[in-house]
Amino acid sequence: MTQENPVIEIEELSKVYTVTEREAGLAAAFRSLVNRKTRDVRAVDKISFAVGEGEIVGFLGPNGAGKTTTLKMLAGLLHPTDGRAAVLGFRPWERNRDYLRRMTLVMGQRNQLVWDIPVIDTFELNRAVYRIPETDYRRTVDELTELLELAPLLRKPTRNLSLGERMKCEIAAALLHRPWVLFLDEPTIGLDVTMQRRIRQFLVEYNQRTGATVLLTSHYMADVEALCKRVIVIHHGKLLYDGELSGLADRFAPFKTVEVELQNGAGGRPLDEYGEVLVRSPGRVTLRVPKIETASVTGRILTDLEVADLTVQDPPIEDVIEQVFSQEATESEEG
Amino acid sequence: MTAFYSIYRGYFRTALVVQFQYRVAMIIWLLGGIIEPVMYLVVWRTVAQQQGGAVGGYAVNDFAVYFIAIMLVEHGTFSWIMWEYDFRIRMGQFSSQLLKPIHPIHSDIADNIGYKFLTLIIMAPTAALLAWLFNASWQPDARTLAIFVPVLVLAFLMRFFWEWSLAMLAFWTTRVDAINQAYFIVVLFFAGRLAPLELFPQFLQRVADILPFRWMLAFPVELLLGRLTPNELWLGIGAQLFWLVAGYLVMRVIYRAGIRRYAAFGA
Amino acid sequence: MYYIRLFATYVRLGALGELEYRANFWINLLQSILELCVALGGLAVVFSHTDNLGGWRPEEILAVLGVYFLVGGLIRVLIRPSMVKFMEDVRQGTLDFTLTKPADSQVLVSMQRVELWRLADVLIALPVLGTALVRLRVELGLAEALTFGATMLSGGLIIYSFWLMLSTCAFWFVKVENIQVIFQSMWQAGRWPISIYPAWLRAVLTFLVPVAFATTVPASALSGRITSSTLWGSLALAAALLIVSRWFWRVGIRFYSGASA
Repeated sequence: MTQENPVIEIEELSKVYTVTEREAGLAAAFRSLVNRKTRDVRAVDKISFAVGEGEIVGFLGPNGAGKTTTLKMLAGLLHPTDGRAAVLGFRPWERNRDYLRRMTLVMGQRNQLVWDIPVIDTFELNRAVYRIPETDYRRTVDELTELLELAPLLRKPTRNLSLGERMKCEIAAALLHRPWVLFLDEPTIGLDVTMQRRIRQFLVEYNQRTGATVLLTSHYMADVEALCKRVIVIHHGKLLYDGELSGLADRFAPFKTVEVELQNGAGGRPLDEYGEVLVRSPGRVTLRVPKIETASVTGRILTDLEVADLTVQDPPIEDVIEQVFSQEATESEEG
Repeated sequence: MTAFYSIYRGYFRTALVVQFQYRVAMIIWLLGGIIEPVMYLVVWRTVAQQQGGAVGGYAVNDFAVYFIAIMLVEHGTFSWIMWEYDFRIRMGQFSSQLLKPIHPIHSDIADNIGYKFLTLIIMAPTAALLAWLFNASWQPDARTLAIFVPVLVLAFLMRFFWEWSLAMLAFWTTRVDAINQAYFIVVLFFAGRLAPLELFPQFLQRVADILPFRWMLAFPVELLLGRLTPNELWLGIGAQLFWLVAGYLVMRVIYRAGIRRYAAFGA
Repeated sequence: MYYIRLFATYVRLGALGELEYRANFWINLLQSILELCVALGGLAVVFSHTDNLGGWRPEEILAVLGVYFLVGGLIRVLIRPSMVKFMEDVRQGTLDFTLTKPADSQVLVSMQRVELWRLADVLIALPVLGTALVRLRVELGLAEALTFGATMLSGGLIIYSFWLMLSTCAFWFVKVENIQVIFQSMWQAGRWPISIYPAWLRAVLTFLVPVAFATTVPASALSGRITSSTLWGSLALAAALLIVSRWFWRVGIRFYSGASA
């Protein structure tokens, strides 16, 4: 996808880690003193994409796909081994102060709030660090307090908050300086469904109000479905897909599910001829049909059987994603 | 007995492998135990030199031997078990130990001894180096060495029981660190690490006799230096045995109470 | 100015955290008093057998001990907490938050935590120093006070730079919490004037682990022993180590972000 005015733009970005390998046992431990085995791991392999202003883009991939590494490069924490990147016109890893003041990073599994002191005091600290003018600070805190319902939490020490409450405060702390670009790494991890929904609503609202650009990773497809029109899928460090969320199914799941309700039941009739039977109960059957045959198969079903109802659906997005990665895994094993 | 043998063998093996991974940390931790005796060695050697070669029956060379021996015996008997338990209980790692069908002190002892043997690779050359740097000369007789072995083992065990009991306080309080620190300061003073106890005022020497600390450290060292009369030797071994049995009983009582508390409150 | 205000914020946060752990102050005070008693007891035992130690009179050694406790306390209030936090942050990956802040990372890391309750150590050092001064019969003029202040400052900066360099190693070896133990082990040797140590140990305590500059040197400024070459040497070393540690920090950051790997 090309963007008119990309906020984030990366080209052929790569990151290679060198890791040391060790075997078990004391003898191996002694050996590793002298002779260390090292191996190069391509965490990110020539990835290119661009994100336009105000977009919310979901960054998908299984564990170890290279999502966090990419995010860290964009947040200026890691130097790429190769390739180019520009965010708001800055090269992230130069860590220009003006850049750092305009972006933020939230990591769902890590805390920046100071453990022993009330949340509001960590906010004060960030105010000092980011040199936020008093009036702006008041306004932002009020706004975030309202949006995230933080009022009862601000005076409590971080350690007394539940996981979900803490995450809300983490996000607020990361947004005090009104960043233009948000990098969110698993912002809803470990939270219950209600809290996940809250945070999603907030992100949508925040994006609409401020026009900030958001790049987020998540394991929860619900997050992605609710937030992102566009997704970028990476696996083994390589870019697999970049486009509309709805297009993901077209591209990777060459099947549709056809649900048929029969008037008199199917009797003993085998239905395998129409497609792979996924679920079958008296009077109701779910079939998996190759996408290109959908039209002809439904036609045949309608003529052959006494149909009460028939629906054609894309498979659930989770299944698609799972299929993407399992396909990729077998391909890479074979290759 | 054979069951214990194989269990300990297993513990030793894992202890060695685990500790080998922390070899750098291990060497660093040894440093404190080397600097402190060297410091007091220097101080007392300087005093002895200024006083015409000897102070209170200790000549310049005796101080060198005394503090090198203190270093080795301290290394042989100390433990870090109090910090270990503080950590385990805070991190909730203690439960998994309770699941094993054997008293947790065994793996702790094996750990400790494994560590001592591994670090002997550094401590032995260090002692030799210090002896060379400070011109220490020492000729022990075979009988002293023969008695030293059980005395050292007694010192190790009694110290371990007491420190293990102290470690159990982590079940009751989160301020173990302060208690440990206080304990170490008291040990520093009364175990003979600042100075040979003979150089202390009479009153403090008597206090040191009553407390367990001198029997953990100063007593085996004085034995090595050949400064003990047979009477003092037997008295010392008696004191060690007394504190060993007392430590064992205290350990059992406090462990049971601790487990009860742990089971009641969790951690 | 920005950094001073930031530091003030951290001190305020430190004080807040304190109220949560008020008892720590008293426990720490008791512990420090106990430690001081043992140290004084040790001095008493030594000086019951001699009237000077390597040319140092008891009151001069007392001054060394006072400075040792004072500087040790300041290290535990100002330097160590931040360095320990930094090493934790490297291990847990939370350093990333610090690095995404628009401020100098070294300054931010170096002042991120202040443990005011450790001031107990500083407090108990003051009467010891006071007693030493009275016994020394020093008339503290402006020149002496300035010299003492300068040696304390340079000693503090030397210790800070040294500790920063040790901590910076965390970028390469993640498990370096233990590295602070190196300093603590060597630090205890500072309670005696370093001139009593043999040459090799003196060299270690001066150049390898620069304990001497933070203990013996300020104490000798108090008793008027200090030579001008020691004073200027101490200031020069402080400046040099500040520069070197800054450079090393930059190398560490570059390594951390994979720029040099």
